[in-house]
Parts: sequence; structure tokens; C-alpha cells
Amino acid sequence: MQDYNFNEYFDRFPLAMAYVPWQHLTQIYEDLDKAFCTGTIFPELTKPFTGRRCVK
Amino acid sequence: MNFKMNTEQENMLHDISVVDFVTVEMAEYLDTHPMDREAMEYFNHYMRMKNQMMRDYANKYGPLSLSVADNSCKEWKWALQPMPWEGGC
Amino acid sequence: MWNYEKRLQYPVKITQPNAKLAQVIISQFGGPDGELAASMRYLSQRYTMPFNVAGLLTDIGTEELAHMEMISAIVYQLTKDLSMDEIESYGFDKYYVDHTLALWPQSAGGVPFNSCFFQSKGDAITDLTEDMAAEQKARSTYDNILRLIHDQEICDPIRFLRAREIVHFQRFGEANREDCSELV
Repeated sequence: MQDYNFNEYFDRFPLAMAYVPWQHLTQIYEDLDKAFCTGTIFPELTKPFTGRRCVK
Repeated sequence: MNFKMNTEQENMLHDISVVDFVTVEMAEYLDTHPMDREAMEYFNHYMRMKNQMMRDYANKYGPLSLSVADNSCKEWKWALQPMPWEGGC
Repeated sequence: MWNYEKRLQYPVKITQPNAKLAQVIISQFGGPDGELAASMRYLSQRYTMPFNVAGLLTDIGTEELAHMEMISAIVYQLTKDLSMDEIESYGFDKYYVDHTLALWPQSAGGVPFNSCFFQSKGDAITDLTEDMAAEQKARSTYDNILRLIHDQEICDPIRFLRAREIVHFQRFGEANREDCSELV
């Protein structure tokens, strides 16, 4: 069974590949109405638009 | 979120949307974490809840999908309800 | 195969028609980085993927159809009560002459939806990398929409859709990980 280890040995990862860190089931919004409005049940994946970048 | 919940039907529809959203989100997580038992239990819990809510809604207001369409009723409610893009969600 | 549930994944309730905004948002319906392109991309790629990745592509491809429906609902509600004066003064007449107020997949610039908007290459790493890029392109498009539009009725479902792109990026990234492919 695959164990998605929290310790990822990035210095051993082969070059020329794209990686994202594994998500672990650490946090889920308790308030599911809030999760629905946010667009995800995972607080770690909540990255709202702040209006920055590409704006002069 | 600004939409007003002032009818029982709207509230039921909202609750179904929230619970279904949880199952969709967790199903996609399980697609890349197929051995995560805690996630599977979470998914199963909310999927059971959603199935019951779909049946309850269909009994009162007509089916939201053909799988809960009541084939003993006298009118084809599926075609008679407004479509979701008309603003009823 | 597919079932249909007669509701939007997230509510769309727009009270003010606005032809100018509709012309911008239609890009997320039929444009190069829109929801229809996303859906067709993932549903096309899945046939030549290892089965666990095919499952993810099917689930996300299906969700993107629901997002396409939300965008279409936004455009429909923004245009359904327009007067002829509004249609002409906002430059919506060029779309109107060919489609009246119907939904037709095209970009904001008028480019019709076509398969050149996506690739289905048959190589798992290539296709998943394309998918990660697609989610970022969609997220960027939503950022641009949020810069252009400040109407809460429209921004609310747009923010939801934007949040979904970020989650999907994470999922495709995970699917691309070597250890995920070792589960096959």
C-alpha cells in the first residue's frame, strides 16, 4: 500500500519532471456551507484572488 | 454568498448542493489517494446523506435526476420543472 | 455514460442584464481556456491513460461540464432581458445577428470553439502537464474576469469556479507524480 510520506526527499527527485507536493488529509472545513462558498473543502487549497500581479 | 433562502424547497436544494459538492471534492481526492480509508469513510457518509436527500426532495418537489424519478406518478415532472439556468439553482 | 442532475453545481442568480460583461464571460464557455475546452480535453485524453488517471480525468472532465453549464447560465441571465438599444450600444449586435440571444461557444474575441484549443497527445506525462497548464490558464482567465467585473452577483460564482481550478491543478499534479503511477 502506498504511504504518502510527509517527508519528501526532494533532493532525490529526478530532474526534468514536474512535481506537486502530496496533499494529506489533515484539515477539512467543519462548516461545509463555508467550504461550498469557498469552492473547496480543504483549507490548504484555499488560495483566493487578492488582485495582485498583472496589474500596473 | 448573497442568495436568500426563504423557502423550504430552496433550503433543500442548497443542502443537496453542499453535500454533493463534498462528495465530488472527496471523490477527486480519492482518485489520487485511493488507499486513504479516512477519506473513503468521509465520502461514503456524505454520499449516503446525498442519496437520501435526493429521494426526499423528489418526493416533495419532483426528481432532480432520472434515477430518482417516480415512475408511478401521473405527470412527467422531470419535464415540467423550470431549468436550473432560470435562476432557481 | 452520463447522468444529469437538474441543478447548477453552484447557484447563479443575476438580476441585472449586462451585454458588455456577457461578452467577456462567454470566453469561459467557448474560449481557449474555458470550461468546454477543459472538459473535452480531459474526456478525450482519458482513453489512453492508466486506469487510475483515467478515473480522475473522467471525474474532473464531468465536473467541467457542470462548470460550462454555470458559465452558460451567467451569460444567459446577463443577456435574456436586453433591449435592442442595449444590444446595439454594447457591441452585442455582431453576436446577436448570428445567434440572437442563444448560447454559442466562442471566445470573447469571436473565435469559434474548436479542438485546436486543446491537445490529447497520448503520453501520460505530456497530457497531465497540459492539464496542469490548462487549470492555470483557466485560473488566470478568472483572475482577469475578477479584475474587470466587480458585481457581487457575478463574482460569487466566478470565485467558486476559480477555486475549483486550483484544486484540479493539485489533483493533476498528484496524478503526474511517479508514485501515483506505481499504484497501477
